[in-house]
Amino acid sequence: MSTIDNIPVRHETPVAETGSKRSNPLAHVFDELVNFCRSRSLFMLHYCTGCGAIELPPAMTSRFDMERLGIQPMVSPRQADILLITGYVSIKTLKRVILTYEQMPAPKYVIGICSCTVNGGMYWQSYATAKMLKQYMPVDIYIAGCMPRPEAVISGLRTLMDDIESGRADSWKKYFQNYDYYLGNQQQLFGEHWQTPTDIIAEAHHYELITEQTLGEHTALLEKHQKPLDALEMRLTGKEKQKT
Amino acid sequence: MSKELNIWLDNLLEDIESVQFNRKSSRRVRVDVASEALPALLELLQGHASYVHLSAITCVDWIDDDEFELVYHVWSYETRSLVSAHTRIPRDPGVYLSIYDLYQPAAFFERDIHEMFGVYFEGSPDMGRFILTEWDGPPPMRKEFDSESFVNQTFTWEQYHPQWLKDIEEEGGGITTRPEDVR
Repeated sequence: MSTIDNIPVRHETPVAETGSKRSNPLAHVFDELVNFCRSRSLFMLHYCTGCGAIELPPAMTSRFDMERLGIQPMVSPRQADILLITGYVSIKTLKRVILTYEQMPAPKYVIGICSCTVNGGMYWQSYATAKMLKQYMPVDIYIAGCMPRPEAVISGLRTLMDDIESGRADSWKKYFQNYDYYLGNQQQLFGEHWQTPTDIIAEAHHYELITEQTLGEHTALLEKHQKPLDALEMRLTGKEKQKT
Repeated sequence: MSKELNIWLDNLLEDIESVQFNRKSSRRVRVDVASEALPALLELLQGHASYVHLSAITCVDWIDDDEFELVYHVWSYETRSLVSAHTRIPRDPGVYLSIYDLYQPAAFFERDIHEMFGVYFEGSPDMGRFILTEWDGPPPMRKEFDSESFVNQTFTWEQYHPQWLKDIEEEGGGITTRPEDVR
């Protein structure tokens, strides 16, 4: 892809240095500290897709109080760590969910709540809902139930916290490593002209997570149809006219 | 006043030959009417019998009779009663007259029915896509559209007997109550 060179961060960190990252024992300690801190300040994107969202207000507010665990809702995907998929995702919603997921900064975690994200749930027969969420984005943990009670949500979040602390929750890497698989499933559902504004392949280069499965026939198809996105125009008008 | 209006309406509707009248309760009336006479009936109800509120238009697909049934629910605040006017139109052209000039909210219902059943309403202001903006298959609520086979063609399913469950079963555990036992 042509835009790899446009990302300035890549030039700042030379590739040769990264090989010797692990040799320092103190660096590992620092990683553990980072993981510990990260697991205790999680921002959860306030984006509710289905009926399971109704269990989140009791989980967030004083009764079960998610904030005592350091989890609080956040309004924008750019500032969020957790993407909660609370229930069924219709095909229309799935497009928006994928756009949102790709906008989130890198250590990001996906939780699938309710039976619908596992296998379609009670909407298994519906033409409008996607069935398996994990085909379209990597999922860290599922909280099963229809719908799960706030206790189950809290318990699932605690499991996620443990996973983050021990470093097991690294499914965001799988999205870069197996991008071709996820993109293939997305293209099968949305048509071959599907594209998102986020350049995942360039990001995979940036995180050095390019594997053999990152690029393939589906990314080739994407590259064939991809229209370059223009930068947004910035205009300031109106004010000057009022002054004169 | 409201009772008088109801009695007057009952008497009138019973006298019209092409209208099949059936009072279900003091608040509900079912009227079966030929498709040619329905706009005239609605005009009568709205203009002279205070049925000013169109609650909904619903559509039923009777595939064996090769007909669509359209049900117009109109509500009167004066008499506090609901009239459901049923009419049937042939399935094949699937074209009917819009009642947008009588009830303006009909535009939404007609657009929705057009999207879900493919019935075209002549004179409706907008027959474009409404909710299924990214759907290019057949109208999904028609009976001939088999949602289950569409789903089986489009999606794959999670395995119900994965390896981790087999491992648990080897250790003597497993599912105690299966869904088919409960159903």
